Amino acid sequence: MKRLVIVVTFTLAAQYGCNRAADQRDRPRIALVLKTLNNPFFIEMQKGAEDAARKSGVDLIVQAAEREVDVEKQMQIIENLIESKVAALCVTPSGSKEIVAAIVKANRAHIPVVVVDTRVDAAALKDAAGTVSTFIGSDNFEGGRLAGEFMAKALGGHGEVAILEGIPGHETGDSRLRGFHEAIKKEPGLKVVASQTANWERDQGFNVFQNILQSHPAVRGLFACSDLMALGAVEAIAAAKKTGKIAVIGFDAFDEARDAVRRGTMVATIAQSPATMGTLAVENAVRLIHGESVPETIPVDIKLITNESEPGRK
Amino acid sequence: MRQLRSKSYAARSANSVSARFGISRYRQIGTLSGLLSLSLVLWILSPYFLTVSNLLNIAEQTSIIAVVAAGMTFVIIAGGIDLSVGSLLAFSGVVMASSLSAGRSIPLALMTGLAVGLLCGIANGLLISIGRLPPFIATLGMMSIARGGALVFTEGRPISGFSETFRSIATTNVLRVPFPVIVMLGVYILCHLALARTKLGRYAYAIGGNETAALLSGVNVHLYKTMVYGLSGICSALAAVLLTARLNSAQPIAGINYELDAIAAVVVGGTSLMGGEGSVAGTLIGALIIGVLRNGLNLLAVSSFIQQIVIGFVIVIAVLMDTFFKGRGK
Repeated sequence: MKRLVIVVTFTLAAQYGCNRAADQRDRPRIALVLKTLNNPFFIEMQKGAEDAARKSGVDLIVQAAEREVDVEKQMQIIENLIESKVAALCVTPSGSKEIVAAIVKANRAHIPVVVVDTRVDAAALKDAAGTVSTFIGSDNFEGGRLAGEFMAKALGGHGEVAILEGIPGHETGDSRLRGFHEAIKKEPGLKVVASQTANWERDQGFNVFQNILQSHPAVRGLFACSDLMALGAVEAIAAAKKTGKIAVIGFDAFDEARDAVRRGTMVATIAQSPATMGTLAVENAVRLIHGESVPETIPVDIKLITNESEPGRK
Repeated sequence: MRQLRSKSYAARSANSVSARFGISRYRQIGTLSGLLSLSLVLWILSPYFLTVSNLLNIAEQTSIIAVVAAGMTFVIIAGGIDLSVGSLLAFSGVVMASSLSAGRSIPLALMTGLAVGLLCGIANGLLISIGRLPPFIATLGMMSIARGGALVFTEGRPISGFSETFRSIATTNVLRVPFPVIVMLGVYILCHLALARTKLGRYAYAIGGNETAALLSGVNVHLYKTMVYGLSGICSALAAVLLTARLNSAQPIAGINYELDAIAAVVVGGTSLMGGEGSVAGTLIGALIIGVLRNGLNLLAVSSFIQQIVIGFVIVIAVLMDTFFKGRGK
């Protein structure tokens, strides 16, 4: 009985995956392992990758851990995909250093690795003698710098500024932060009074910024290292009835953030193109499968989205 | 007279232990057949499933949560719950890692990590036994304290980059078998013996079955409860060693939700959350069922969202079957 129930449940649930695997077994299979799928950024990336896969006639397997920072689960997924003999592996590392062990395993199985969005720690990779075929992503440092420059402009060069950081030790967030500080350094009138992590999460963005407002009521500008945290903070600002009085700059340019910029609850966001990243990842993975060479780094455009750059768009 | 009575209590509780042990052994066969039929289905569905390298891969992936679940089995058999295992894993992991980074020898660093796990576990045990806190509350508190401790200790940053020797804990293979798997098997053999052959094991059943009866028959309930939580703490710290070596990094946010995975492995393995019955062998099979399932769903490229639904169903169904059979037995 127990056996029967387990067999039936499992077969039903696996039907979807099975059909896909059985129908197209001879086409090359490319894996895209994302940090998570509960974040619009990665869903955009998945869409871009799926489009490219359709055009190139390859099978795309998209997998992700439930939590963005679950490095161990991401490693397990990669190990399992290596066992299923995918032809190429594209990955957005959950941890810049922790991913290295998984990359080395892919290297040993002679599966080319394309790293997307978050860089792998170069020293750790070298230390473990791992190799990455190419990195596709935007220059987060440059994005942070753009945000810093615009902050100075929006505040007229003086005022208290707060920062919502990503998860500490996360290469993406750290670069954005360094870029922002680099730009702010040139503005003696701007003072960073609080810089705390909201762990990339919207609800934490709300809570942490609410707390910052309590301790620093004079804050006039906020730079959040991601739009999710920025949008959380926007709600906290609305709750404190300070909408429009604090210049919020986010990062990622989600549709919701672009809307906020148009409505004026945020002053700017930095646009990365996750869909382009996904497309480039698959296209280059296909090239690698065919034995063609690819550049070591493939930059993806990054730009500032403000009220002036947005009005034409619906 | 009094002595006589307490002896008869002891005899009775010993009897019931062996009776329960018999039932749980019978049930293990049910859990094992669940694992085997799951494997059979995967073998039919995926050509990649039944290969030596994939099976070893599953065993390696399961090893960390399985070690945590071994300690959890003792706690649950003794009628408690330990929600702090994931946080203890993170805390002992970062303490060990910082001691390694500071250039201490590997044995010393390992001992430090294990000691942190043991002490936190003992603290749980004392809060529950002498402090009379419900296990849920005491370990919920510890879960938050140890997580915060790990974050404060590292300022939120992972500690990484260890020597080749330390990493070899996770990367060495003995006759193709990854070393973490050997550690896991060692832990399970020891825990099985401890549960079946030692006072600690038998008293854990007695306390979980009927704490008052155990107390009246002269069991030092405070001591053995504390030991059980200490054991769970050590298991978490040992899992931290494996995880840190595997990722070459100790993260203060490691092990989030591990308490849920470990509890799932324990209950799927046929241990009752009410306490008093269960086995570590069942837990190992339970952990493997979840590991095989995750692996299989990855191999079949099932969407990540559907995977969660499937895993949830398997946990619920496994325990449902268990209750069903138990009801029938009576």
